Amino acid sequence: MISSDVIRGYNDTIILYLLLDGPSYGYEISKNIRELTQEKYIMKETTLYSAFNRLESNGYIESFYGDETFGKRRTYYRITPSGLTYYKEKCEEWALTQDVINRFIKEWKE
Amino acid sequence: MDTIKNYLDNLFNGLPKTAKLQELKLNILSNMEEKYQELKQQGKTENEAIGIVISEFGNIDELISELGIQVDPQTKEQPVVTEEEVDKYINAKRRMGIQVGLGVMLCILSPIALILIGDLAKAGLILQGLSRDAVDLPGVIVLFLSLATAVGIFIYSGMSFAQYSHMEKGVSLPFGLEAKLRQDRTNFTPKFTLCIIVGVCMCILSPMGVIIADARGSEIGETYGTVLFLFIIAIAVFLFITSGTIWSSYDILLKIGDHAPKKPEDKVISAVSSIMWLLAAAIFLFCGFVYGMWYIAWIVFPVTGILYAMFTAAYSIFTEKNK
Repeated sequence: MISSDVIRGYNDTIILYLLLDGPSYGYEISKNIRELTQEKYIMKETTLYSAFNRLESNGYIESFYGDETFGKRRTYYRITPSGLTYYKEKCEEWALTQDVINRFIKEWKE
Repeated sequence: MDTIKNYLDNLFNGLPKTAKLQELKLNILSNMEEKYQELKQQGKTENEAIGIVISEFGNIDELISELGIQVDPQTKEQPVVTEEEVDKYINAKRRMGIQVGLGVMLCILSPIALILIGDLAKAGLILQGLSRDAVDLPGVIVLFLSLATAVGIFIYSGMSFAQYSHMEKGVSLPFGLEAKLRQDRTNFTPKFTLCIIVGVCMCILSPMGVIIADARGSEIGETYGTVLFLFIIAIAVFLFITSGTIWSSYDILLKIGDHAPKKPEDKVISAVSSIMWLLAAAIFLFCGFVYGMWYIAWIVFPVTGILYAMFTAAYSIFTEKNK
């Protein structure tokens, strides 16, 4: 299990990554996170929707209503150009962070 | 499935009911329901599926701080009620309205026997040869019996309603229920308006019998007119009470109209009003009993009414300016 403190700064990055290939909606995104991480990270609903709210108010994603399925109106999200820029920045930041932190990580072979 | 919806309803209950939050809640709900369906398809039992879905919901405080919501401490403290409780309360209130309405009707109609028997005997139509007191006796008995029955009804209805009185101390309604109640209130509006219009028209027309009899100079006609007058008033009051009680049950639950949360200045007004009206009643009784001025003492009530209206208007203008 990953502690949510460590991953917090990258929840937005994870969501943006999953929107790179096209619009998606809440459940699909959380399902994809679960599958891609092989259930090592499960994003809670409140975390997911807090992130949507934050990303949308920063202008990194846009929401729109998709087709109605089973009489329910689904909210879809798509990444914006500034969201893509932000995503690239976060990728660089992570590369740097990883490079720095790795210097202090000792591999134990027992 | 309902478990998930109820869980969310309760969590969102203390939060302001904005369109944004409603939408957010619906999105989270459909998300959770989809997850639930998929877990069921994977062969999980209903309880397992619900358990997983709820454990993966997270923490509502995360959303609250992210959205910068101010939680109203008053609403958060109020008990959450279910649809069943609300239905029971409204039904109890409706029953109480009918009971109180009947009781008040009895009170209004109680002197009828006394008036009718007395006047008919005076006109020499019945009970000839009996003394005035003996003639009045059955009427007086009917009067007291009616009043006693009415008081009995009031006590009974008050006691049977007591178990629902906690509903009037301010409750927190889940979203769906609040919307349903607003709809019910809207549906009831034409009925309520009709009851009030019919009642007011009846009150205005009620003295017609007396006036016509008076014009024709028929004394016994005036007696019948008075009886008719009381009957019409009684029916009108019954309409006001029964429809008004149902109406107020919606207003109390939804905390609107007279039942909106009280502001501090309202407390000042209500304190002054209770003192003023008690004082008016005291002046009325004093002038009546001590000086026998019953014929004019009632004037204190309309005067108090005007003074009270002046005070509240002046007070609200004054406090408005101070803000």
